[in-house]
Amino acid sequence: MTPVDSWKAHSSKLQRSLNTLCCATVISLSAASSWGAESPLHQRIDVAIGAGLTEFENLAADDAGDAAFARRLYLDLAGTIPSAEQARQFLADGSPDKRAKLIDQLLGSPHHARRMQYAFDTMLMERRPDKHIKADQWRNFLRQSFAEGKPWDELVAEMLTADGSDEQSRPAAKFLLDRELKTDAMTRDLGRIFLGRDLQCAQCHDHPNIDDYLQRHYHGLAAFLNRSYLFTDPESKQASIGEKADGTVKFTSVFTSESDETAPRVLELPPIEDPPLADEPYTVKPDKKVRSVPVYSRRLQLALAMTDSSNVAFRRNIVNRLWAMMMGRGIVEPVDMSHSGNPPSHPALLDLLAEEFHEHNYDVRYLLRELALTKTYQRSSLYKVGAENLADDRFAVALLKPLTPEQLAWSMMQATSLTDATLDDLKTQYLLADAENDPAQIEDLLWQEEALHDSLKSHVDTFVGFFGVAGIQTSQFDASANQALFLRNGAELQNWLEPSGQRLTAHLATLDGPQLVDEFYFSVFSRPPNAEEVQQVTMFLEEYKENRDAAIEQLVWAALSSAEFRFNH
Amino acid sequence: MRRNQGCNPLEHVMARRQFLGGAAAGAIGMGVLGHHAQAVQLKRQEKRILQVFLQGGVSQLESWDPKPGTVHGGPFQAIPTSVPGIHISELLPNIAQRMHNLSIVRSINIKSNDHEQGRQFMEKGRRVGDFPYVGAVASKYLTPADSQLPGYVHVSTRGITDVAGGAAFLGARHGQLKLEGVKPPGNLAPPEGVDALADAGRDQLRLQFNQRFVERRSKALTEAYDASYQQAAKLMSRKEMFEGRASKQDLDRYGTHDFGRYCLLARNLLENGAACVKVTHHGYDSHAENFNFHLEQLGEFDKPFCMLLDDLKARGMLESTLVVIYSEFGRTPKVNVRYGRDHWGTAWSVALGGCGIQPGAVIGKTNDTGTAVADREVDAGHLFHTYLQAVGLDSTADHDMPGRSIPIGDPSAESIKELLV
Repeated sequence: MTPVDSWKAHSSKLQRSLNTLCCATVISLSAASSWGAESPLHQRIDVAIGAGLTEFENLAADDAGDAAFARRLYLDLAGTIPSAEQARQFLADGSPDKRAKLIDQLLGSPHHARRMQYAFDTMLMERRPDKHIKADQWRNFLRQSFAEGKPWDELVAEMLTADGSDEQSRPAAKFLLDRELKTDAMTRDLGRIFLGRDLQCAQCHDHPNIDDYLQRHYHGLAAFLNRSYLFTDPESKQASIGEKADGTVKFTSVFTSESDETAPRVLELPPIEDPPLADEPYTVKPDKKVRSVPVYSRRLQLALAMTDSSNVAFRRNIVNRLWAMMMGRGIVEPVDMSHSGNPPSHPALLDLLAEEFHEHNYDVRYLLRELALTKTYQRSSLYKVGAENLADDRFAVALLKPLTPEQLAWSMMQATSLTDATLDDLKTQYLLADAENDPAQIEDLLWQEEALHDSLKSHVDTFVGFFGVAGIQTSQFDASANQALFLRNGAELQNWLEPSGQRLTAHLATLDGPQLVDEFYFSVFSRPPNAEEVQQVTMFLEEYKENRDAAIEQLVWAALSSAEFRFNH
Repeated sequence: MRRNQGCNPLEHVMARRQFLGGAAAGAIGMGVLGHHAQAVQLKRQEKRILQVFLQGGVSQLESWDPKPGTVHGGPFQAIPTSVPGIHISELLPNIAQRMHNLSIVRSINIKSNDHEQGRQFMEKGRRVGDFPYVGAVASKYLTPADSQLPGYVHVSTRGITDVAGGAAFLGARHGQLKLEGVKPPGNLAPPEGVDALADAGRDQLRLQFNQRFVERRSKALTEAYDASYQQAAKLMSRKEMFEGRASKQDLDRYGTHDFGRYCLLARNLLENGAACVKVTHHGYDSHAENFNFHLEQLGEFDKPFCMLLDDLKARGMLESTLVVIYSEFGRTPKVNVRYGRDHWGTAWSVALGGCGIQPGAVIGKTNDTGTAVADREVDAGHLFHTYLQAVGLDSTADHDMPGRSIPIGDPSAESIKELLV
């Protein structure tokens, strides 16, 4: 039995695993049946957001409108802006449930799995340089996991149980292996990333400013891993995780000099005492040449304890993070500073989301769907006159979300038509490469997504280099001169603006008047222009008409460099 | 013996050759800064930091803490300096004449012999964790509002990657702008086919797009975004500042080799409002032929550094500029079989002076053979507090970040008070 199988057995989640196998249909059914009397979650979310503020509805922003909704949703769920064609199609669709349909369509797309791969890679590894597990393997593991709708607790269990010795599960071990089992990094990140608590300052003493971050919390988490170590195979040089059968965690406060010892424990949950040491405590005895494996592993207790139903912090953390991804800030913000001095903006809402997420088997897609269906998500980012002073944490207006480096890269490639042009090339190449190649293949969405990704990945990496931040991720927006120089003068963007082949600039050059402006607005901003905008663009092109091609390039550059493009709004 | 990045003797040889071959290009011209701007700059008396990083780990025995005549003291003599009683290595004759502007801390023990750990500790004042570098902190708190430059600029030849430019949670704006020698930063020239007029036209259009977008939207984010374009435009308009044009007089004084030119560039950057300029002088990791290497390296370092020091002083800037000469660690008080010295974080020195620093002082000491700190042991945490307090920042206060406050310096360390004015 693999560790994850044993996790499944132990955590009595067989029923849940079965549900997961046929998740898409089961979810809507079970949502309908078990919550028959109650309104759907997205409606209860809106009620919770409105509660407590009189006249909320009068102050809250209007609906975003279909065009703004579609652009926002494409970015949040599929990681890129829609093409002009997709945007137009959505606007033209007259069906009343078209927003729900788009949500489902995007959640089921291979682009969604990629978007989640990017988001969770950033959240879990924080753009640190590779150490022991190749990023590609790890990212593939994440993408596959989201593609198959793996529940969050199961995904985490896989990450915390994999020891790197087995090829199949090895990619999942990146979280632990790339932190090299170093107590500081390990413990802090377990607390921050899975429990929403930055316990670093509680390493040497109870936190000086935060009443509920205690030294025993830090060391309780450390105790799960204190016996584990980085083992490097002398022959293959491959790193994996070994573990000893003994070792305790003692700590002393540098303030009070009080000492204590702790067994593994998650925050205030009961400590998990070791069973009596067996006569032969090792399955594989420690030796320089082998990875030692104890009969009783503290590390394997971690996945169980972390994902146990009693560990409410675990699910509150992830629903808060998913909320922040969709809404622009956490209900607890910063997302890794959950404590009594920094309470949630909407405590009942956080409880509601956590419990519903638990009920629905830690199904990420279910939660994203419900969030996207809320009025809260679908509001305009334009505040109502008179509501300008409402705090961000009221969620009365859609917050501006800076595009991630990946979203920015893909959106710029989409807007300039590099994406579509590349896909056409890839299709042609595929068919020409071998007469036996199946023409049906090139219509397969997964094939398309993967082929495009592989072909354009280096551009995405370039954007990550300029716009990505390694280390603790915050929701703060920051922009450097270096980034602006890259957008102003860098080779990438300049290249994409050249009017050749199917590029947007080449296509626009074949158009004229309002038609040109309309195509330009749909391609870059996913919406039709208003009269003032038509006039403005027309005037600009008129002013530089001696060199029309250059003027069109400058027009597209200015739009790509605008705030409207930089932020998901 | 450890063989880290930069330790390979071959690499040293290559670097030498590059230096010899690359020194030919010279240019004559005036410094770009006009007298008026200088006067304005001086009037403000803002504070700033100059860091000279001797990469690889300079030997304290061949520089600030010589032990001639001891078993592992090496062949070089100690010479008297302009401060009675202070002796430094004969490899630093120009600095010796200016010792009254500097002070030495001889009692550093960082308890690490690892390049990367040592460097991180010396920059962040903490052994572990995502904390900002001294330069990023300076950028955040010392950059004048109307500065023409990013706050933190690093002039270096070879790539050492600093995660997020050393800014950590302070954000990309405060990360280092890295200059590869006297070359403008990347993407500083407008793309081919976009002349100044077209560039201005498209930027005007960008602003028009923004204008409509920001109506009835929160301004904080959009303003930060626009500020980055303004900063980029300022850099583009001052491209020549980075190109290392220098007058014949300056080149005569500083020398025409790379490090001389870096020092001249550093002077320009400091005059133009950079809050922290770091200049890296590579190649002190002398596991073999330590003495030849130091003879050569410090020979290259000593004079241009002193010219820079003199110029800062002549411009009245020294009293508002903290100057620090540091490494990631020192070198072993034991000569190995290849006449080298190895990594040594246990008992070594830095020199500093200028703004807020008591001149002509020596803090702490090592024992007679240099194998241990004998008095007033400090580590990089103490130095970090000292640097920031020297430029008037309260290093015991917190960075006030949204939702959290993070102590600026390590709360378990404090400044070297007797070194501060």
